[in-house]
Amino acid sequence: MDPATQAVIEVSDLVKVYGETRAVDDVSFEVDRGELFGFLGPNGAGKTTTIRILSTLLKPTSGGARVAGHDVVAEPGEVRKRLGLAMQTATLDAFSTGRETLELAGRLHRMPPREIKRRTDELLQLMGLEAAAKKLTGTYSGGMKRRLDLATALMHRPEVLILDEPTEGLDPQSRTALWEELERINAEGTTMLLTTHYMEEADRLCSRLAIIDEGRVVVEGRPEALKAAVGADTVVLQVGRSPDADGAQGSAEDARKTEFCTLLDGMVPCEAVAAHDGSVTLAVADASAAIPGLLRRLDGHGLDITGLQMSRPSLDDVFLQYTGRHIREEAADQPIIMGF
Amino acid sequence: MRELTAFAYDTYWLGLRTTRRFFRVPANVISIIFFPLIQLLVFSQLYKDIVQLPAFATDSYLAYLAPGQVVFASFLAVGWAGYGMLVEYRSGYLDRLRSTPIARFSILSGEMVPLFFEAAIMAAILLGVSMLLGATLATGVGGLVLILLLSGLFGIAFSGISFIAALLTKSEQAASALSLLMFPVVFISTAFVPAELMPGWMQAVNDWNPVTFQIEAIRGLMTVGYDWTAIGQAVLADVVVGVVLVSGTLLAFRRLAA
Repeated sequence: MDPATQAVIEVSDLVKVYGETRAVDDVSFEVDRGELFGFLGPNGAGKTTTIRILSTLLKPTSGGARVAGHDVVAEPGEVRKRLGLAMQTATLDAFSTGRETLELAGRLHRMPPREIKRRTDELLQLMGLEAAAKKLTGTYSGGMKRRLDLATALMHRPEVLILDEPTEGLDPQSRTALWEELERINAEGTTMLLTTHYMEEADRLCSRLAIIDEGRVVVEGRPEALKAAVGADTVVLQVGRSPDADGAQGSAEDARKTEFCTLLDGMVPCEAVAAHDGSVTLAVADASAAIPGLLRRLDGHGLDITGLQMSRPSLDDVFLQYTGRHIREEAADQPIIMGF
Repeated sequence: MRELTAFAYDTYWLGLRTTRRFFRVPANVISIIFFPLIQLLVFSQLYKDIVQLPAFATDSYLAYLAPGQVVFASFLAVGWAGYGMLVEYRSGYLDRLRSTPIARFSILSGEMVPLFFEAAIMAAILLGVSMLLGATLATGVGGLVLILLLSGLFGIAFSGISFIAALLTKSEQAASALSLLMFPVVFISTAFVPAELMPGWMQAVNDWNPVTFQIEAIRGLMTVGYDWTAIGQAVLADVVVGVVLVSGTLLAFRRLAA
């Protein structure tokens, strides 16, 4: 097989059952070398369970997975050598310094001492942690902890980087900075799998993603293709009151709709036009290309257009189409249940 | 053989980390030293004249009391040993270690092996303070080395109580409470009075209490000289306790993390 296109993560018919719950219910997907693959879904969808199986922390009930060419159940040691893992919360030893944390990761991955020193310096600089290198990680801010956690996962130059909710709980500034960092690491050739319930994160970062809900992959593809498949862009025109709209509101809207249908004949089909009080919504296949023509025609008829909004289908619309729910409703932080 | 080297390597680096974790919190050392030190200071004054009873072979209650408090210090050093692992189990740090290509049981040995040194150091501090207050060390440097080795061994053996409780209950509170429940075991020993002065049922407990063997061996080294029978009995008691509790710890660890 050509190593350049070979699948680095192969998941086939993966099932994990806890009692009555099928946390992961027949999940299959592949991630190719160099991809940044996203796992998008609400909390409790089975993302973390899948990731724990791929990181050899959990054994599947049935089905299998190969990571970096090795079976996660039969050869966990080989997988661990090639894997970098960053968990949902930054998992650091509060009583070690940043430098000690990275050096220990190097030791545990059997890196030669000189390489450990060099790589530690490099990563501390890269993550902007040089000044904090000698401070205990317990004193770090949330963003610093995430960056050190990521550096720890990268210490041994893993072939595959698995990130569980990498920006959960970060402020917007730290989130953007971390996104840039992840893009850079991916650009250098590291294959990445990340889970998220933030649509904009999946949209911005992932070259391909799978939407997972209730333990199943409901759809998989490139973000643009998924959004395009959902349907047309939406254009909302703010329109001043038309002079003849003195009758009941319902009939005024009907009249406006008819007016627009006639005006836009040949550009936008009539069923894609919806009139509301003060605005008209059009469903247009490629809005950014169509808008100039639309405006020219409407302008020519003396309509008082006071504003225009355009929106493309979001991954939320994709999620909605496949699951019948909004991801946002599900994404609210669930309380952490501590077991005793 | 290569696996054994790898296990030792991982244990060393993980052990260095847990040692840092212990000594970087000053409260750890202070709270371990505080209790036996207070008992030493207060009881040696409060019951100063108890040594006039014929069962005592010494005329200084402080000298009698010190060995028990040395042992108590090594007991406290490991009394909450399972706590750190439990915190790291919860935080996910244990998972991070499990996702690296290390020998799985080095996570446990990295916690346990440093306890040998932590228990020995805590015992040494108590021994030093006792000597400043007037206790003796009849066997000199040789005795000191033996006391440190015995204390380390005792520490590893008894740390199993905390590990088993922590790993099985996965509850910091339950593990802490169990450590407190172990206190009577330490007190029903010859730490405060010789066996002859105890009520009958206590003597029965005391006869089989491994803590007593440990105290008597150290008391011999501090007050009399090398009593190899007492030392042998202490080593045997520590080994028996160690085999039982460390085996239990291994099983509990495998259930939790393997």
